[in-house]
Amino acid sequence: MNGVGSNTVTETLLRVHGLRKSFGPVPALRGAAFAIRSGELLGLIGPNGAGKTTLLECLAGVQAFDAGEIVLPAGGAARVRLTALLFYMPDGIAPWPDQPVGWALDYALGFFGGQRALLPEVIRELSLRPLLGTRISALSKGQRKRALIGLALLMPQRVLLIDEPFEGLDLRQSREVAAVLRTHVSRGRTVVVSIHQIADAARVCDRFVLLNNGGVVAEGTLNQLTSLAASRLGGVPCGDFEEVFLALT
Amino acid sequence: MRSPDHAWIWLVRKEWRELLASRSWWLFLLLFGPLVGVTFISAVNSYAEASGYRGSAAGVGEAFSPLIGIWAPTFGACELAAAFLLPFVAIRLVAGDRLSGALKLEIQQPISPLSRVTAKGVVLLAGWLIASLAPAAAIALWLSYGGSLHVPELATVVLGHVLNAGLTIALAFTAASITTHPSTAAIVTLGVTVGSWILSFIAAVHGGRWAIAAGYTPTAMVAEFQHGLVRLDVLLIAFTFILTGLGLAAVWLRIGVAARRRTGESMALLVLMAVAMYLSTFVSPSWDLSESRMNSFAPADERALRQIRAPLQIEAHLAPEDPRRADLEQRVLSKLRRIMPKLKVVYVSNTSIGIFEQTSAHYGEIRYELGGRRSVSRVTTLEGVLESIYSLAGIVPSDGSESEFRGHPLPVPPRGAALVFYLLWPALALAAAFFSHRRRS
Repeated sequence: MNGVGSNTVTETLLRVHGLRKSFGPVPALRGAAFAIRSGELLGLIGPNGAGKTTLLECLAGVQAFDAGEIVLPAGGAARVRLTALLFYMPDGIAPWPDQPVGWALDYALGFFGGQRALLPEVIRELSLRPLLGTRISALSKGQRKRALIGLALLMPQRVLLIDEPFEGLDLRQSREVAAVLRTHVSRGRTVVVSIHQIADAARVCDRFVLLNNGGVVAEGTLNQLTSLAASRLGGVPCGDFEEVFLALT
Repeated sequence: MRSPDHAWIWLVRKEWRELLASRSWWLFLLLFGPLVGVTFISAVNSYAEASGYRGSAAGVGEAFSPLIGIWAPTFGACELAAAFLLPFVAIRLVAGDRLSGALKLEIQQPISPLSRVTAKGVVLLAGWLIASLAPAAAIALWLSYGGSLHVPELATVVLGHVLNAGLTIALAFTAASITTHPSTAAIVTLGVTVGSWILSFIAAVHGGRWAIAAGYTPTAMVAEFQHGLVRLDVLLIAFTFILTGLGLAAVWLRIGVAARRRTGESMALLVLMAVAMYLSTFVSPSWDLSESRMNSFAPADERALRQIRAPLQIEAHLAPEDPRRADLEQRVLSKLRRIMPKLKVVYVSNTSIGIFEQTSAHYGEIRYELGGRRSVSRVTTLEGVLESIYSLAGIVPSDGSESEFRGHPLPVPPRGAALVFYLLWPALALAAAFFSHRRRS
């Protein structure tokens, strides 16, 4: 499935300008700049160490950034307004490991004021029912990923930032989760995912932000990026998105 | 987005579940009963023997106070638990969120960081109160033996240990929020505890400002409460410590804020703490809630001493490790300070142990100065010191016709205590852990 252009993308929800972040002497973000638009599934694409997770964490306020700004269309970007707009689901976490999945979903709904009406649907879509009584620490990597994506989908925020949503999932599960994400995007949700597997990204996302060495090297739809890559290669067309990525990074 | 008030309630519920899910908490609960049992059984045995049980000299226990004979040692188990068990439970509650990644999720709910820390603190304090069922069982057993109970002095002991637990929790929270790993937090917390003991040791050797600082360590604070003494300055300083600790934890749990800013805020908090503590040292009210009035002079002496308006200065030529100095300080001067806030005490010595100063002509002298009049004595007993002061002030205390504390001897062994603390308590703790685990899953 190629979701490129499958939604009517209009409003810019958030714009990032010159975001910089260093860990000691090591720069992780070098002036990253891009926009998130309403109702899109945006893919942050880049190799390991490109700065995808750092960028998402800076956006979500989970990490402080050194310079740059996050601008909302109405002006300013007070952290409270950003928190009301964005929810970030990190990769590789096992929150509340001694608690069962069902309790974790219920707690997240209560604590964050999530959309309780969505709960049965999310449980069904992500096949979570058999896991509801299982402790989070006892879940496999893929099961945990599905449970946490389910938790993110229940959140009240309009924009979801999901770090590596397909990490730990097999091919079938990846496709199922991609379909679920697309379903929620088609209903008006905006989803930003970071993906280091380029083939997965090409299958799922409407638009792409290509990151390399902490900077955004290109931003656009698959067609726009393909054209840009071809122009960089002197008019030679790229065969697939992997070649586009290599040409632009 | 959920309103902060509702979110806080959810957070408390979650922290409670996390506490119940924590093995460290159940282990703490399991060990606490036998720990209290050991101290209680030993204390009751000693008390019974001193009271004439099994043919020991009857009447020795005449002046015995349950506060010193039973409650101070029994609740001493709480001090041990607060120093060596509670920190691990507290650290687990804070560091667990960071390690599991839950903090990265929860930080996205914009409730105040202090509310987050308070939720953990409230739950942990509730856990401490549940563990306090062990000393409560000791109280019930004591009453069942026909033991005497003076509620104000027991309440003072309990208050002291609750405050001590609060200090431990605040310290452990701070360490767990600043450090990145629980083991580092545990080392920091235990390091501070051991550091406070070292401070007390240095104070015992060098006295002076060290002794003033050591007077506000948790150990010294608990010791005063265990003597039935409530000092407002100690209370204020304990609260300042607790609030600062919780504040620091709140500052450092804001992982989305730059480390430089958090460092600056921490410095500001520490400066505020130092100012508040310094000001608290000028607060003098205190209350002796012990039944035996062990922290006070006889009422007639107190009335007489209150008549003295001029500032009194006492210069004691005694080395820090000289037992006479400890005797003078604990039996006389600590009581005198409560009655005469203008009292100034100066210790003079060239060495820490004093043995080599015995040949000095002035070593051992206690010099008094009151309203320009001076006297010198070598007596360190309560009666001797008071006599010197009365003589300088030119007053004669009225005859003490007040009833004297006669004590509550009780020649009864700790019947059933071993069963309660070594068998029943662990069995109940294990059963509760089992059912809690089953209920969660």
